[in-house]
This record gives sequence, C-alpha cells and structure tokens, in this order.
Amino acid sequence: MKNVYMDHASATPVRKEVIEAMLPYFDQHFGNPSTVYDMGSKIKQVMEEQRAKVAKLIGAKAEEIIFTSSGAEANNLAIKGAALARQKKGKHIIISAIEHHSVLNSARFLERMDFEVTFLPVDEYGLVDQQRLSQAMRPETILVSIMHANNEIGTIEPISELSAICRERGVIFHTDAVATVGNIPVDVNELNVDLLSLSGVSLDAPKGVGALYFRDNLRLMPLIHGGIQESGRRGGTENVPAIVALGKASELAAKELPDKVNHVQGLRDLLVAGVPERIEQVKYTGHPKERLPGHASFCIEAIEGEALIFMLNQSGIYANTGSACASKALKTSPVLVAIGIPPALAQGSVVFTLSNSNTVEEIEYVLEKLPVAVDKLRSLSPLWRTKEAA
Amino acid sequence: MYSEKVMDHFSNPRNAGVIENADGMGEVGNPVCGDMMTFYIKVEDEKLADVKFQTFGCVAALAVSSIVSEMAKGKTLKEAKAITKKAAAEALDGLPKEKMHCSNLGAKALAEAIANYEEKRDGKPRAVAKQTKRKRPKRHITCSHCDVKNPVTANFCMSCGEKMDH
Amino acid sequence: MKFVENQPSDDTLDLVCRVCPLHLLEPGDKLNCLKKGQVLEVLTDYDGALEDIPNWCQKCGQDFIGIEEDDDCYKLYIRKNK
Repeated sequence: MKNVYMDHASATPVRKEVIEAMLPYFDQHFGNPSTVYDMGSKIKQVMEEQRAKVAKLIGAKAEEIIFTSSGAEANNLAIKGAALARQKKGKHIIISAIEHHSVLNSARFLERMDFEVTFLPVDEYGLVDQQRLSQAMRPETILVSIMHANNEIGTIEPISELSAICRERGVIFHTDAVATVGNIPVDVNELNVDLLSLSGVSLDAPKGVGALYFRDNLRLMPLIHGGIQESGRRGGTENVPAIVALGKASELAAKELPDKVNHVQGLRDLLVAGVPERIEQVKYTGHPKERLPGHASFCIEAIEGEALIFMLNQSGIYANTGSACASKALKTSPVLVAIGIPPALAQGSVVFTLSNSNTVEEIEYVLEKLPVAVDKLRSLSPLWRTKEAA
Repeated sequence: MYSEKVMDHFSNPRNAGVIENADGMGEVGNPVCGDMMTFYIKVEDEKLADVKFQTFGCVAALAVSSIVSEMAKGKTLKEAKAITKKAAAEALDGLPKEKMHCSNLGAKALAEAIANYEEKRDGKPRAVAKQTKRKRPKRHITCSHCDVKNPVTANFCMSCGEKMDH
Repeated sequence: MKFVENQPSDDTLDLVCRVCPLHLLEPGDKLNCLKKGQVLEVLTDYDGALEDIPNWCQKCGQDFIGIEEDDDCYKLYIRKNK
C-alpha cells in the first residue's frame, strides 16, 4: 500500500469542492473587500456570507466571528486581546498545563507584562478538575483558557462545567477548539464560552486560515492594528480565497459531521482493539471514552517515536509522535509529562488521527506493519533486552 | 531531513546485537533523554574482531551506532579510539544540526567499551581525570582586634578602625 | 467640550479597543436602529474620538450631547435628530 495517511491533525488534503469554490477568487473576483466600487462591495458581501457559514457551524452569530490566519493567531488574539483589554480589572490568568504552544506562550508573554499565570495540572487522562479550577480562581482573575480537546492524547475536556464556574464569577472563558471543530459537534451556547478558536486545517480547508468566535461584542485588544478590516479588530487585507474555502468547508462539515464521527470512530476502535493484541507493553494514552472519535494515541515501551514514525513511513504509513527526538527542541512532550507518563516511556509516543478518507483495509494494513516495526526496533533496543530478561 | 546513507543504516543496521561474555562493554545516554547506546566488543590481537550494538533512540542514533560499529570493526584499539563524532557524522554524509549530539554519543559508547576492556585487561581501574575544585576567591578578612569581618581589600577595620593585618 | 453626568441613554455602543475609523462608522449604523429623539451612548478609549465624534455629529445633523469620563473609557452621548 502506497499511502496510508493517518496524521489528519497535522494536515488534511483540501477537498475538491473547497478548491473549486476558492479558485474564482484568485483571478476572476479578485477585488479588495474594502474598496468602494462594485467589485469590492460584491467581494465584501461574499465574505460576510462565509462568516455566516462559519458561525452556523458553531451555533454563533455572524458578527461574532473574526477571520484570522490560523488557529494559533486566534489563540493569540483571545489570550492577549482579552487579557490586555481587562488588565485594569485584574491581572491573573488561568490555563491548563496541556494547552497548545500558542496559548502557553501567549500566557508566558503576558507574564513578562506583569500578569500572573496559573497552570492547572491535569489528571492521568488529561482532564482538568472543576474543583481545582474553582480553587485557583481569585478576585483578580480575568481570563481562563482550557482547550476543548488535546491533539496529542485526544481527551475532550468538560468545557460546559468549567465555563459555568467562570460565568458565575464574571470571568471570561476561552477554549481552543482547533482539535474539535470539524471532528465533533461544537456549539458555543452549549459550551457556554466567551471565546473559541478554530482552524481551517481541521476542516479540510487550506492551511493559513482560522477564526475566533467572541461572544456579544466582547472587548478585545487588537494584535494586528490596521484599518476597518474585521470591524477594526484584526487589520490586514483579507485572504479572500482562504476565507471562501473556510466558509465552504464549514458548510460541508456541518452537513457531514454525524457520518464522519461514526466512520472514524469505528476505524479507531478497530485500531485500538487490534494494537494490544499484537504488541505487548503498550499504553493507550488519554481518556478511554471522552476523546476525539478518530484519535488513537499510544506510548510503546522501549522504542523511540521518531524511529517508529520513519519505519512506518517506509511502509507508506503516516503517523505522528510526541517524543523528544522528533521535536526539534529535543524536549519530552509536556503533555505526556503532565499526565504522568514516565519520561522514558513518553519517548515511544505514536499518534494516529483518522478522517473520512481512511478505510478498514488501511487499519488492517497498519495492524500488520506496526508490530513488525515495533519488533524490529525492540530487537535493537537495550531497554527491551533488560525488560525481557527481567 | 536525513541523507540516504543515514536512511540506509537506519533501515539496515550493521552489527546490531549482543556479544555474550564480551571483552568490553560501554553504555552511554539515558532513556529519559531519548538516546541510549550499548556497545559490545570482542578483542583479538589488540584488534576489534567483533563489534555489536544495542540502541534506543531516533533515526540518527540508530544510524550512528551502525556506522560507528562498521568503522570500528577490524581496527586496532588505537585506530578505534581515534574515531571521532565528526568522522561518524561525515561517514553518514552529515546529520541535521539538532542530531549532532547522537554522533557524539556513538563515539563515546565505543570509547567506553574500549576503556572497559583495557580496565579488565590491565587489572586496574582507568585513570580518572582529577576533578580540581574551583578555587573560590577570598572575600573577607577578620579583624584581629574586634573579630569583625571586613572586606579583603580593607586597610582599616570598619568597626574599630584599627589597621588590618593582611 | 461639554461634560455631562448620569446622562440616560437608550442603547450603548462599546467601541473600547476598536481602532480608528470604526468610531466614525459604527455609530451611524447603530443610530439607524434608534428612533428620533433617542440617545446613543458610545464607549471609546480612543482620544481622537473626542474631536471626531462631535464633528461627525455636526456633519450628519445629529445632536452631540456631551461626554463623561469613566474609569477605563470615555462615554459620548448622541441624540438622534434625523
């Protein structure tokens, strides 16, 4: 088998319908939405239509959506924008220990501006405890950010319960929903959040586009100062083709989500059942039930993640890893450390994220090749030898 | 990311395995950090008749172990001791910057195995480089009259005014 | 500059953190939703608005009532005239 792609959390091929929708906005309808003549105002109208489509996907109003260049930018705008707009009220922020780097580093940046940040620990499944959040809150807390689901371990956080605690105290609640929008139903009213980030990558839209939901004219300090684009909240001439793509992708996702969930969950469950039958000493990380439907993450004893990924790659399989060597910074995944995985075991991390394009045959192929790769690496590993001798 | 040579040694590692009752064994690295290498050597007539390795690590670590074992096999002890991390990386047609530490580990593991053999052969532990404790500069001097601590540069005591005897 | 206190209003437009020239574009849209005689309260942290908004009111024939300084923003009051 040539190409078994199971790393949809990193990137997804853009769908044909989405590409077709985008193309005319490159050379035919190329106007700048801010111009006054008809070419501009027509494009502005198209853009507003896309805004409405994205809003519909998450149960929001069109005017509550800001288009950004990525999920990371949406996170930056949410954290820094909301904090800076509220600093007179207080300077304490709470985030979970397993947030994406765009949230973690935005918070660290604010620390340098004399904000105080509390990093909430998580349990062995990656879940944030509601009691812990309650206890961490102070009169000067102005913002809480907990991700909807984590892409490394798949765990889905109890956002409605966590946001309720914040709502009681008038504290703004943000959730990074990059991993969930497009993979599970997401409704801003059910989740009861004030800010929510999403990315085109999880919606089969091109890279380089995302959006931030902000409830009800919430105050946000802009990060990118410009003119009237995005109602003065995010400057810069809009990437119209990408925004059209995001709108189209949101429309398709809204329609197809239930079938997608069923499909990927079935395949994922096959994979998760098959792995321990064929490979011993494997840990299934993340919550067993409250997790993304197409997500399977493992830590495999005595082997290293990058080596496994390359070996799978040689069989045409694409998966991801959170091990130290694979990450250019050579640090063990902070998420795996936060859920209590011993550092040596955390090296053997492998993550599969599935989509509609994956099939039962592909799962069977992976179940055939993965144990072979693991066995080969274990035959070379001094750690496996010690384990076997024990 | 990796050269063809690296990928070849990764996919087809030379000399992977264990030597039972090896003449020398060297273990370096730490699974916590993501790389661990164990080298085994068999010595005949002061030459490395056989070299085997076991490695827990990334693609670069596995490739380095393989190439170092290949470079060392059949060499004299002296020649093998001269195998540097640079030589290993060059033999692999280069490594990405962030993976250069793997080549260091490979050279070190081999050196450890040879040192282990020499220790056993000579019947005495290897010379450990003397760890010289860094001399801390003297910062204070006590006044002989009133016992008060003064800066070492003081000529007269801060407390009683008497001349300090240096 | 006319200062007012406790001016009652029928609707509020929060423009705090928003950049120029939104403070000149949005009040117009918001006033369209009000009836003649009703008052719009505009919140802004932009100093330029203190000059811009009264001038805009003059140009568009709306009544500029006055401003009140709050903790984190200025409050400007406009009565819809037409």
